[in-house]
Amino acid sequence: MSEERNIFRMLAEIDRRIIYLLLFIVVTVPILRPIAMPLAVSPDTKQYYKVLNSLGPDDTVLFVLDTEFSGYMEIQSGVLASARLIIEKGAKMAIACSHPEATGIPPMMFSYLRDVMEKYDYKYGEDYVVLGYIFPNEAAVASSAQDFHGVVKEDWRGRPIKGTFLDGIHDWKDWSLIAIFSTGVRSDAFIRHYGLRGTPMVINCIGVMIPTTKPYVDTGIFKALLPSMRGGAELEKLINAPGPGLAAMDCFTFGHYLVIFFIIIANIGYFGYVRRRAER
Amino acid sequence: MSAFFRSREAMLIVMVISFLIVFIPYFFNVPALEEFSTTWITIAAIVNAFTLVLAVYSQFRRGIYFIRTGKRAWGFKLWMLIGIILMIIFATMGMEKGPYSWAMQAIITPLSSVNYGILAFYLSSTCARAFRARNLKAFALLVAGFIVLFYQAPLTGAIIPGIEPVARYFTETFAMAFARVFAISVTLGAIVFGIRVLLGKEPMVLGFTREER
Repeated sequence: MSEERNIFRMLAEIDRRIIYLLLFIVVTVPILRPIAMPLAVSPDTKQYYKVLNSLGPDDTVLFVLDTEFSGYMEIQSGVLASARLIIEKGAKMAIACSHPEATGIPPMMFSYLRDVMEKYDYKYGEDYVVLGYIFPNEAAVASSAQDFHGVVKEDWRGRPIKGTFLDGIHDWKDWSLIAIFSTGVRSDAFIRHYGLRGTPMVINCIGVMIPTTKPYVDTGIFKALLPSMRGGAELEKLINAPGPGLAAMDCFTFGHYLVIFFIIIANIGYFGYVRRRAER
Repeated sequence: MSAFFRSREAMLIVMVISFLIVFIPYFFNVPALEEFSTTWITIAAIVNAFTLVLAVYSQFRRGIYFIRTGKRAWGFKLWMLIGIILMIIFATMGMEKGPYSWAMQAIITPLSSVNYGILAFYLSSTCARAFRARNLKAFALLVAGFIVLFYQAPLTGAIIPGIEPVARYFTETFAMAFARVFAISVTLGAIVFGIRVLLGKEPMVLGFTREER
């Protein structure tokens, strides 16, 4: 074969624009024409569902949006499905943010969940409160764990939280569960100041955080882990509430298979051209 | 008198006292100290927030220098400074409604999402170029990565149930072991560094340039 015309060389040195174009196509087409492929539910998601499903009307959950808006797109399905399940179980919810970009998430969240909130008569002040951006750093997390009302006196609109269900929250002992939806902004601070003291916690994190978060599930600091967008889709399937997660699973699947395909053809090209050229 | 407050010893005394104020309530239930500790931490958080003002000031100084000297890509610096000024003005006009809210919803959040989304393209291109079986170890890494990546595709778990135990074995043994090694190393390093700071062996933390020998 000549140096210029070589299929192996083409595979080894594939133009990255072709990769970008093909990835764009395999991600866009299933969104426009959903296929609804089957989805197996992993043991991690089943455990997460079990923890949330055990909540009741006497429980108070700290719902922490520990994410920038960019990362929220990956855990959006987990956030919405978890919030839906908490509302259905009647547990009280205090929503807090640890990044300024996350303050835009609660209005979108409750707009999406308006039907289930009306169905279960889930009211602001009685059943849920939005505290806003109250965890700007680890010092705020540490303070809230020791003396919640010493740190948080108002909700995100400046209205006092006195007189709401948060009157019963004084420190780390009083939360029934802390549900963290994280891209890694402040989750380690919650581990240190809540988890290690024994407050039950669950986490929904992005894919790259899963290997470093799993040891905490193994040691019991996190009761369960919901893995990334796929975990959110599995949770949507478990609670029978299809949402953005399930809608994205088709392109998730095709995207993965395309990356595997490119790895394979790149290796074929490597052995057929680069390796042989080096040996010659 | 001022020389004492500027000295390394004074800074170390303040640092050790602050450490004890926060450290002791974690292990011993002393209500008065807990309350003081919370106040102390809140003060520290507020002081920390003021450093943002310093950061914005230094960005402006640097940006204006770039623009005045006409350095390469000075236009982006100008755009950044205009953005900072506009967001500060918008924030004073109310954050819940109005231009600040519009800027967050219409500009920052979509751009933030795009910033994250385009990583998928770079990641795919990098995977194709980096994951090559150059030797036996690389081949073993490739096989393990291939199995985990294959399992992560939702359809695979549904049509090939047997792949789940294999993929979970890789993630729950090797991956978790290395994650633990990383976490333990970082934690031990942080503890050692903290002790060195409290003993005054890291003068750079206090703003002094020469290290104690």
